Amino acid sequence: MSVVIAKNLTKKYNDFVAVDHINFQIEKGEIFGLLGPNGAGKTTTIKMLTGLTSITEGDALIGGISIKERPNEVKKRIGWISSEVIVDDDLTAWENIEIQAKLLKVKDWKERADAILEYFGIKEFKNRKAGKFSTGMRKKLEITMALLNSPEIVFMDEPTIGLDVNTRASLWNLIRQINKDYSATILLTTHYMEEADMLCKKIGIINKGKIVALGSPEELKEKYGGDVIEIELKDGLNVELNKFGQVIRKDGKISVKTGNAEEVLLGVINTIGSNNIKSLRIKKSSLDTVFLNLTGGSLEEEGEFDLRKFNMMMRRARR
Amino acid sequence: MLEGLSALYMREIKRIYRSIYMWIMLVSQPVMWIIFFGSSFSHVPSEFLQEFFHTNNYIAFILPGELSVSMLFVGMFSSMSIIQDKRFGYMKRIFITPVPKYYVFLSKVLGGVTRGLIQVPIMLAVAIALGVSLNLNLVSIVVLVLALAFLGIGFSSLYSVFTLWTSDWQAPGVIANLINLPLMFSSTALFPKAFFPEWLQDISNVNPITYSAELGREVLLSTDPNWSYLGILALFALIMVIIGALLSRKYMTAE
Repeated sequence: MSVVIAKNLTKKYNDFVAVDHINFQIEKGEIFGLLGPNGAGKTTTIKMLTGLTSITEGDALIGGISIKERPNEVKKRIGWISSEVIVDDDLTAWENIEIQAKLLKVKDWKERADAILEYFGIKEFKNRKAGKFSTGMRKKLEITMALLNSPEIVFMDEPTIGLDVNTRASLWNLIRQINKDYSATILLTTHYMEEADMLCKKIGIINKGKIVALGSPEELKEKYGGDVIEIELKDGLNVELNKFGQVIRKDGKISVKTGNAEEVLLGVINTIGSNNIKSLRIKKSSLDTVFLNLTGGSLEEEGEFDLRKFNMMMRRARR
Repeated sequence: MLEGLSALYMREIKRIYRSIYMWIMLVSQPVMWIIFFGSSFSHVPSEFLQEFFHTNNYIAFILPGELSVSMLFVGMFSSMSIIQDKRFGYMKRIFITPVPKYYVFLSKVLGGVTRGLIQVPIMLAVAIALGVSLNLNLVSIVVLVLALAFLGIGFSSLYSVFTLWTSDWQAPGVIANLINLPLMFSSTALFPKAFFPEWLQDISNVNPITYSAELGREVLLSTDPNWSYLGILALFALIMVIIGALLSRKYMTAE
């Protein structure tokens, strides 16, 4: 059963198309990852699905209800966790939860809130001001608030961005736990390959507002993966490497996409000549190589480029 | 139905009474006005005060005026609270729920008004301590509080409307500079209308602060209030809050 069905979902800011006719479905109990660089359209997609921003074209059904036609009905059935932790620091954890419960019109919220706080091990701190909480505790409080209304789906917008390695790892465990113990269907956005690979049953790779691939991590690796030999040559050198695989030249680097790097590596080095190689590295098949194969750029590179461009576009659009 | 509104309003109130800085400002600002500005006419002959101010104590004259002006200034806090929620993302947390946007607007307005009304007993106490004789009874207190609440609702709505679609920190300050001083000095909060040139008197006649200050004087210093002033202030509050609520439904942004 599909909890989310996005149909030609599109968002435009004046002439800039932030999300471009995307389609995907999320099944009940699934962790679905929307993977892409900064500015790819991940957050805008979540904003449209949660009713935070209007939809320019298309629609989405959340639990069978159109977000475009009945946004308030949808809002009662969803949970949301922001990329920056949003709680009121001046209020206690319990007061934060109480406001959220009343805004969501949740009845009998107290028992559920106590149970979730207990589950996360922060019940004894519920009367402490949220401003005194550690980052991990604040995130747990935010997740408690998101689970109060037993949502049909929880939207997590870059939940681990800005967190240190340990906190990120513990949050991954937390996401897996709530998916299992609370049967929570989750849509999370991320630009961390390993996060998507580790957590998600299904992944949509989004780039420049379009979903360029959709499937399980294994399916994507099998279909679009393959090894990549990345070579940096000495200046001015131009060699023909097409016989070893698909060649992409970008920013002075050559990427050779091939099924198995070890099989062609010697041939590549001999063709170029070892003296002409400045650096060489092999990327084994992963979501990173999937992304490279699909878009011709790495996630990090795309991210830097798109963030500037996107911010510029947004500034223009807001004028 | 109103649970969401009451939750948002209580949040505003808790944030006010838990902030020591807020209390310092709530107490110090009106006390400074009364003590320093109110004392500035201490050596003016009492015949002059009696003739133009209809009282022999200038502090008694400016007390209702200053109470009214403080309701103008609290409007700024309503708009600052809106900006703060947008900047720290809390507005998104509210907008992700089915609560209507005009509830957010109303909670900010009511929070601002409550903040202003907290100053009433403080200022009355300071005035009494400085020797002002006030006609305090249930009717005078209820009329004074109602008049100030209406004025506060009107101005808080006005300020909040200006910040519905922006998250710029500078916006409340700019609005305050544009409207606070003209409204304060064109009202009879600090000086009687007889002092004003004709054009300023015309402005004073349509300035809600004038009606609040005059009504406050009538209930606190005499026993013959002009009840129509309360109706004018109620109408001002109603019009502004309806405009604000309607605009917030369409134009209030989360960021």
